[in-house]
Amino acid sequence: MLMPKRVKWRKQMRGRMKGKAYRGSEVTFGDFGLKALEPGWVSARQIEAARRAIVRTMKRRGKIWIRIFPDKPVTQKPAETRMGKGKGNVEYWVAVVKPGRIMFEIGGGLPDDVCLEALRLAQYKFSIKTKIISRTEVSGGEA
Amino acid sequence: MMEEILLKAEKREIIGKQVKALRREGKLPAVLYGPHIDSQAIMLDFHEANRVLSGLTSSQLVIIDVDGEKHTTLIKEKQRHPVRGSIQHIDFRAVSMTEKLRANVMVELIGDAPAVKEFNGVIVTGLEELEVECLPKYLPERILVDISVLGKIGDSIRVSDVKAPENVVILSNPSDMVVLVTAPVTEEAVEMVEEAVEEEPEVIEKGKKEEEEF
Repeated sequence: MLMPKRVKWRKQMRGRMKGKAYRGSEVTFGDFGLKALEPGWVSARQIEAARRAIVRTMKRRGKIWIRIFPDKPVTQKPAETRMGKGKGNVEYWVAVVKPGRIMFEIGGGLPDDVCLEALRLAQYKFSIKTKIISRTEVSGGEA
Repeated sequence: MMEEILLKAEKREIIGKQVKALRREGKLPAVLYGPHIDSQAIMLDFHEANRVLSGLTSSQLVIIDVDGEKHTTLIKEKQRHPVRGSIQHIDFRAVSMTEKLRANVMVELIGDAPAVKEFNGVIVTGLEELEVECLPKYLPERILVDISVLGKIGDSIRVSDVKAPENVVILSNPSDMVVLVTAPVTEEAVEMVEEAVEEEPEVIEKGKKEEEEF
């Protein structure tokens, strides 16, 4: 699963997810992309599950781009622990995703129906609403 | 020869955040500028502009009729809504038909690469646009690149291999890659790399509390 190699601080505060993803909101590398429609935390586990679903459907053809990275640690206190005694342990890593963000892209000479099926299966792996978009549909052929 | 695309526009006085109200009324804010004209804020009919401009490439000429005054333009930039993808604003660059101009022309790949069919190769696209110089009337909609010459993995097409249309000079770096065929990455190889990496992240700076403990 994806996680940072080095971090400056072990634990982080939760933060807010205001606004939209003005950067990284267009399909840039591949032919089709998966766009987030709502804000949320996407865990490294979800990203890995989606990647596996895509790779299986693509049958080792084509290319995949993961455009989000889980660089935010999420802590949890162990079960049945009394409050206090400091912040809990880091349990997993998440990527902070804002609406409009392209999370995955696929392409590399794959047929359109394979790309659409791969992304459709990947959509089930996320806890946020997503939409499949094609490069030509959004940019109208203009780069 | 490209077909003529004509769009009617009106001058716009409203600028800044107030253009949101224009969008609600079904208008599309835009700006028109160029080397021989003063920059002016204009507005178009949203639905007409969307219909006309949706299938255009960045190198197609568009004639803008601003209150009866016609300007031949190129679309310099389209701003889109990050979630909905609808057009929010357009930059039109007026061009002179008698002067050479530089523009980016979209590359379109045609044909089937034998390397993909026979060796399961992956087509990696490099440059998606080529910078060209020519008179506006010779400006191509797109430059076609035939990938049926890519016979084996590792084969590539560079800018120098692309045949420029007549009266058009390609300015992009000749050694830049346009298309490349790479070997497919197996799932097992990816998993092996990722499992090897999976360790606790190294902490660069420790918290105050931890430092005191040392």
